[in-house]
Amino acid sequence: MTLFILRRLLALLPMLFAVTLLVFALMSLAPGDFLTPVKAQRDINPALIAELQKSFGLDRPWYEQYALWLGNVLHLDFGYSWTYKVPVAQLIAQRAPATLLLSLTSLLLAWTLAIPLAVLAAARPGGWIDRITSAAAYFALAIPEFFLALLAVWMAARTGWFPIGGLTSLDHDFLSPSSQLLDIAYHLILPTLVLGLGGVAGTLRVLRANVLDVLQAEYVTAARAKGLPEKVVLFRHVLRNALNPLLSTIGYAFAGLLSGSLLVENVMNYPGLGRLVYEAFIREDQFVVLGSVVVGCSLLIIGNLLSDLALAWSDPRVRYGR
Amino acid sequence: MLRLCFLLPLLATALSSCTPKSKVAREKHPLPAGVDTSKHEIGRQGGVFIDSTPGEPSTFNPLVSEDATSSGFIGLFLDSLVHNNPVTQEVEPGLATRWEIAADNKTFTFHLRPGVCWSDGHPFTADDVVFTFQAIYDPRFPNRAAFDLSVDGKKFTIEKIDDLTVRLTTPEIYAPFLETVGGVGLLPKHELESAFRDGSLLKAWNVSIAQKEPRRLLATGPFRLRSYQPAERIVFEANPHFWRADTQGVRLPYVDYLVTKLVKDANASTLAFATGQTDAEGLSPDNVAWIDQYATRYGFSVFNRGPSPNTGFIWFNQNPGKDASGKPFVPPHKLAWFTDRRFRQAISHGIDREGLVRGVLFGRGQPLWGPETPANKKWYNPNVTQYPFNPARSMELLTQSGFSLGPDQKLRDRLGNIVEFTLNTNQENQLRANMATAFKENMRDLGITVNLSFLDFGTLVGKIQDSYDYEAGMLGLTGGGDPAGGISVFSSKGRLHQWHPNQKIPATPWEARIDQLMSDQLHTLDYPTRKKYFDEVQKIMSDETPYIYLVTANAYVGLKDRWKNIRIPPLGSLVWNLDELWTPLITP
Repeated sequence: MTLFILRRLLALLPMLFAVTLLVFALMSLAPGDFLTPVKAQRDINPALIAELQKSFGLDRPWYEQYALWLGNVLHLDFGYSWTYKVPVAQLIAQRAPATLLLSLTSLLLAWTLAIPLAVLAAARPGGWIDRITSAAAYFALAIPEFFLALLAVWMAARTGWFPIGGLTSLDHDFLSPSSQLLDIAYHLILPTLVLGLGGVAGTLRVLRANVLDVLQAEYVTAARAKGLPEKVVLFRHVLRNALNPLLSTIGYAFAGLLSGSLLVENVMNYPGLGRLVYEAFIREDQFVVLGSVVVGCSLLIIGNLLSDLALAWSDPRVRYGR
Repeated sequence: MLRLCFLLPLLATALSSCTPKSKVAREKHPLPAGVDTSKHEIGRQGGVFIDSTPGEPSTFNPLVSEDATSSGFIGLFLDSLVHNNPVTQEVEPGLATRWEIAADNKTFTFHLRPGVCWSDGHPFTADDVVFTFQAIYDPRFPNRAAFDLSVDGKKFTIEKIDDLTVRLTTPEIYAPFLETVGGVGLLPKHELESAFRDGSLLKAWNVSIAQKEPRRLLATGPFRLRSYQPAERIVFEANPHFWRADTQGVRLPYVDYLVTKLVKDANASTLAFATGQTDAEGLSPDNVAWIDQYATRYGFSVFNRGPSPNTGFIWFNQNPGKDASGKPFVPPHKLAWFTDRRFRQAISHGIDREGLVRGVLFGRGQPLWGPETPANKKWYNPNVTQYPFNPARSMELLTQSGFSLGPDQKLRDRLGNIVEFTLNTNQENQLRANMATAFKENMRDLGITVNLSFLDFGTLVGKIQDSYDYEAGMLGLTGGGDPAGGISVFSSKGRLHQWHPNQKIPATPWEARIDQLMSDQLHTLDYPTRKKYFDEVQKIMSDETPYIYLVTANAYVGLKDRWKNIRIPPLGSLVWNLDELWTPLITP
């Protein structure tokens, strides 16, 4: 088992190398660099531009810049943001909590809504619950996330029921701690709905199919024949077995914790990593982009590893290693 | 579910009514001995001023700041020796109450305002001024100010005379000395000296520190930082040690808090104002009409600031050089057109600027004939050569230069080449793209074919400044301020001398004359003499038309009506006297 984990973690290294190399090469192909806007200002001395170019290493070819960056990363130094003059790790840590919060609430929404609905829908295939949830799920899967985000912003602006973007109100600093919590919760409603709806629909479809499968199993017939109440049959015996395949999707959910909301954050003015990364990319603030790519890739690999482990734990037939 | 629908609006109203209505208690400190008394209308303390800005501050450290957003925020809390009043364009006392200029015109003695304290109560003295200049000139900390505060690469010297007197000496006579010094935010020695010693000064006062320990960003200006939430907002509060008061001895600023929403882009910022969420917003001409419809609903007014300092122009690449492979940047026959003054003048006469103002700016602007717009009252020269719309005059000039119109209605030069060129501009600016299209139409009437190429800003700057591989360009520059700011444009050695940058020796006699004038104006302190020199620069620029100036848009500001005592400057920040602003209605 330990060997298996080690092997998976080792596989992370070549992948990170390849992905960052690709990102770096692509960014160097893009026209202009971080100093382009500075060059276009009329009262900046050329000597200062030359000095900045040298201190950023922009006067060297891109592969040399990449090698330097890689060397620093081996010492766990991910560089600093040229824009903010703050270490990249610190900058990401500054923005990550908001993104993490949003990802978790939308994941929570997806699971708490999808699980009971899926079981109820599968219990009576073709019944009214099944029909309504299926129709709603197809509808939700068909709407692109960014469009839903735009709709939500438009709705908020029209009705005034919800804040238009942000995580806190203007007077957040002056509120009591309990009102501050309420304030954040209030701001989270819309982004959570937008980000979570697709998750609800996807989980619902997968789980419904699983539950239907498990319902055919002989032990379910046995449980029913034993005279167990239907509620116990569905939620204790069927659900537990139907959940197995969903465990493997946790990995992807984990990978999306910090990067999945990039689009929604930008449309909804949400103060998380998404906006930081997007702006860094537009400004060609290289190390911030690379840092976020590294975080995203690592989360993907670790997430997949975790879901494999969870599967092994929940299903004794799955064994890794030898 | 129904119940939830009821609950949400309720929750919303409950939350929005949590705003503090009670009077905010301020720290009480005695006014400094050298208090500056505002001569304006007396107001009342209280209120929250809300505005928004596209993007984020990248730092709160003046040595690091290179963008207007960061510098704007820094200017709220770090004060300087003198202020440039953008309304009068005069230099006014700031942290120095008065100054003397010695007979050599190179030695400036500043007398500091007595009794001023930093926002932590520590006294502000000459040591802070000396420390600031040491930090700026220290080679360990490359920064923009170090270049602004030197003449021909030579630094100014600074010495402390006593606790409240400093003397600055420039190596040569340096005309914009007071204006430049006016922009230098002074740093607190007692707070930043340790960072200076261990070489980490550029890392001080970064966004991370601003978020965690906002009070460490010490202030001498009207506000001090209260909190910074990345991508959300910045809250400044009244600095309880600020050195200005009204005639009744009430300390300024009147407003308790200054809240800036950080939004994604300029559109979001404009939208926030149009929906009544913010108190002030700079508006572009194409937004004025629709925003004005909401004026009564949200209680704001839109003010016309007059012409903006932004210039827009077209130029031809006159660079005679060749690229690495020996291919000329511009084909020789085209270079011959572009370097012909009559050709450029003919183009200028062929542009319908009134039409551009009407069609692109909705009448909210005016034709532009020279490098400065009327916004720069102090330096603008109205008597430059003008090229009113006159296609007949264009044809006359072109005929003199040997061009002729063929039977196919296409213009040809004397060698029979069809006159055709590609105009490059950046795709991000919609107004500019519209003007390029109108220009193309105007040129077609002269028999000239213009191809338009809309490029990414980075690509365009690369062509103009590095590869020189283009025929004509269209861009804008923000003018205004002291002529010294334009040296990189006007001087033939300059980086932004776009039609032919970085010349070793001036290519033409008129460029040599401009070089001489720009150098002369820099080395005298006498305003009328400088004005005379700079007037001539503007005249030459209009005669030779290396830049074919187009139009300048008016600038507009929207402001909520509840604010009293407003001074809107023609240039720079939306409101010049934030500290004197007050409102009879306290709740936002």
